[in-house]
Amino acid sequence: MRSKEHNLRYVVIISAILLVAVGAGILMLVKMASDTGSIFQVNGPRAYVAVIGKSNTSAFWESVSSGARASAAEYNLDMTFEAPDNEEDFEAQNEMIRSAIAKGADAIVFSAIDYNGNADAINEAIEAGIPVVIIDSDVNSDGVSCRIMTDNYAAGQMAGMQAIEDVEGELVVGVVNYDVNSANGQQREQGFCDAISSSGRVRSVYTINCLSTQESAYEGTVSLIGEHPDINMLAALNELMSLGSGYAVRDMGLQDEVSIYAFDSNVVCVGMLETGEIDGLIVQNPYAMGYLGVENAYKLINGLPIDSERIDTTTTYVSSSNMYDIDIQRMIFMFGE
Amino acid sequence: MIYRNRNKVVSLSNAMTLTVVTLASLAVIIAAVIFNSMFRDYMENIAITNSEQSVDQVSVTINNYTDDIIGIMNKLAYDKDSAPSAELFEDLIDIRNDVVMVSTYDMSGNNTGIWSNYDVKDPVFTNLSYDSISSYEGEGVYISAPHVVSVLDNNYPWVVTITGSFVDVSGTPGIIAIDVRFSDIAGYIDGVGIGQHGYCFIMDNDGNIIYHPQQQLIHTGLKSENEMITGLADGSHMADGVIYTVKTLEDTNWKIIGVTYLDETVTNRVNTMIIVSILILLLVVLVSFLSGTLFSYLFTKPVKKLTDAMRDFEDNAQDFVFEPIVGAVEVNSLSDSFEHLVKRIQQLMEEVKAEENTLRKTQLMALQAQINPHFLYNTLDAISWMCEEGKNKDAVLMVNNLAKLFRISISRGQEIIPIDKEIQHAQCYLQIQKYRYKNQFDYKFEIDDNLRQYLCNKITLQPLIENALYHGLNMIDEGLIIIRIKDDGDCIILEVEDNGIGMSEDQVAELFVGDITDRGIGVKNVNDRIKIYFGDEYGITVRSELDEGTTVSIRIPKTTEDDRIEK
Repeated sequence: MRSKEHNLRYVVIISAILLVAVGAGILMLVKMASDTGSIFQVNGPRAYVAVIGKSNTSAFWESVSSGARASAAEYNLDMTFEAPDNEEDFEAQNEMIRSAIAKGADAIVFSAIDYNGNADAINEAIEAGIPVVIIDSDVNSDGVSCRIMTDNYAAGQMAGMQAIEDVEGELVVGVVNYDVNSANGQQREQGFCDAISSSGRVRSVYTINCLSTQESAYEGTVSLIGEHPDINMLAALNELMSLGSGYAVRDMGLQDEVSIYAFDSNVVCVGMLETGEIDGLIVQNPYAMGYLGVENAYKLINGLPIDSERIDTTTTYVSSSNMYDIDIQRMIFMFGE
Repeated sequence: MIYRNRNKVVSLSNAMTLTVVTLASLAVIIAAVIFNSMFRDYMENIAITNSEQSVDQVSVTINNYTDDIIGIMNKLAYDKDSAPSAELFEDLIDIRNDVVMVSTYDMSGNNTGIWSNYDVKDPVFTNLSYDSISSYEGEGVYISAPHVVSVLDNNYPWVVTITGSFVDVSGTPGIIAIDVRFSDIAGYIDGVGIGQHGYCFIMDNDGNIIYHPQQQLIHTGLKSENEMITGLADGSHMADGVIYTVKTLEDTNWKIIGVTYLDETVTNRVNTMIIVSILILLLVVLVSFLSGTLFSYLFTKPVKKLTDAMRDFEDNAQDFVFEPIVGAVEVNSLSDSFEHLVKRIQQLMEEVKAEENTLRKTQLMALQAQINPHFLYNTLDAISWMCEEGKNKDAVLMVNNLAKLFRISISRGQEIIPIDKEIQHAQCYLQIQKYRYKNQFDYKFEIDDNLRQYLCNKITLQPLIENALYHGLNMIDEGLIIIRIKDDGDCIILEVEDNGIGMSEDQVAELFVGDITDRGIGVKNVNDRIKIYFGDEYGITVRSELDEGTTVSIRIPKTTEDDRIEK
């Protein structure tokens, strides 16, 4: 009879669908169990966060690393900190990104040496489903989950406001900046210039762009002052520029004639602050970048909401008068050896 | 239309699906709720235990550290036999890598010496270690909060300053400050994680943070620590899903605070659990839907088909053809039974139809036989003679009898008439015959009058009387026919007895063969009609003896007009 076979076929088909459904459900559960790491297990495997910085020698990046380490300890994560030996080597960074993808990183915290040159590797990571948190220096990618960095314009502005408060009279300003393609440096310069020009006392501003080395900054500063001996104020826009111009001014014996407003701290800069070669330091919060970078990576891995897609880490103005305040000590002196 | 309304009520398979889904939902929800609370408790306990263990460990480490440096200080300050000298300080900074600097001061606070393995600034602008000297009260050992050493060239290590009093070799009392490296402790605290999300920090009794892994963030306002922590006693406290474990250290006024975030991890897992529950629920819904469909295919639909088949059968039993329905075993057996039922009913219907046909045929035959032209002709001939001879009264009687005879024979087409009528019919017939045969026989009726009201088949007595008249009596002298109607319990016996020549057994048997014999309506015709109408247990019996006579008895049940209507 027709309907008999028909019905039998239905039964077989329905049973098959049923089996497939149950199987799929179990698979999903197993997958979920392994994905979230611990539905049934309290101590699952720890998530792994790869932090890739721009340098592993500067005090700034040591501080980033120690912030990241504290955050990884707090959030029970496995964390590695890597950076190329040379702060220009974005290819090495791309290799580190690819190796992190290969190692199965659950999140990447990254600071780009090259805004465009690092974009492809970062997009590969994002396509592989790895959330990316950018710290300090941005990369040209839409897929980045969170950006944590200094508001560089505001930092430059802060330096400029302090400068015009401290120095009286007519201002002849030299700006010692680094790579002209660095958005950070350009924004700081813009902020600084806007702030000092609000005083109405600026006679002229001379800018020099150096390589990102201390030597280049030294030579640049010497030649800038040589060309414009009437310069009475210098703005040094990163750690290496600060050191180079600090040494140059010291060697030229101009510490009383030229006020330096510098960025980022290291022990030498702090010494120069104490001795008066440098008048004011704009200190970023690299520790916070490392800490918040890893903290937000943790949130992204666990599907928790992040506070904001863009977090401004604060900057602090340090002068010889407040440098030994306990809070400032904590800001500018590293705990690590 | 009643069954249409009934159809709207939920089907068995739907009801089953609904029940399963409801039960499963309830079970999953209850399980999720119970799991949630149990899991929360469990996680809280684990978190508290973790936190307390971590804080204990940290406090042991810090205690060892402070014990150690206090031990050094005690050695220097109170060992009168070997009053501290410059050599001793040199040895100390050489041996103890964690001693960054030793400095001595006179009682008015003037620096009297600095020993360190590092270059000392020249000039010294600020000496942060001196700050702790000014807080020193001259008794025991004082441990400062961590600070950097500000007197070294390009080197700002974090230290705590331990201050104590001493007497130098010359017997002059002074103050000694030993700066002990703090970065090891800081690194250790940084590395302490508690549970899935937690950390540790050091605070003094006044609520000032001594060391916090996130102190750069706290200072700049990116993070803050709950202010109520200051007042907490030792032990674990929970607030807003955060567990604070406090432990005060023995030798200092420091407290170790462990902070564990319970909620996000637990909430996370509970959410996962809820997702899993929903997944299970969906699976159950799917499975029950599928099993409902399966059930429907195996049971509900076949049953509906069966119901439709029954309705069809009800509408047209005659031409109904049943197709067996396939489903569950129970449905199959139901289907088989119904099939059997259908066949049986159809068979019965066939039988009833056949019987009806027979009845009609025999009725018709009886009627045809009644209107026997020979009998009619003879009777009319006799009447004609009566008229001619002027026996008008007799003629009228004959005509009346004939008319009555036919009227009762026809009885408006009914098969069943009251016994009273049947008796009248027999009387008419006997009167006509008696007249025709010129009183050659006699007859009498023995009637139980109570029985006249009951019903019997029409044309039952007359054929039997006719038999008796033509074959039993055969025109013998003093022929007598007795018609009896007798009560026999539930039954009535109608008897026609003659005193004629009688019959052999073979002749008796022949009576029941053939519908119509040469003798007109046969015994068989009457017998058949009685049996069709009243059933096989009723009918005709014949008792006969040669030369003695024959008695034919009809046995029928007592049936009234009311009984018939009820039927």
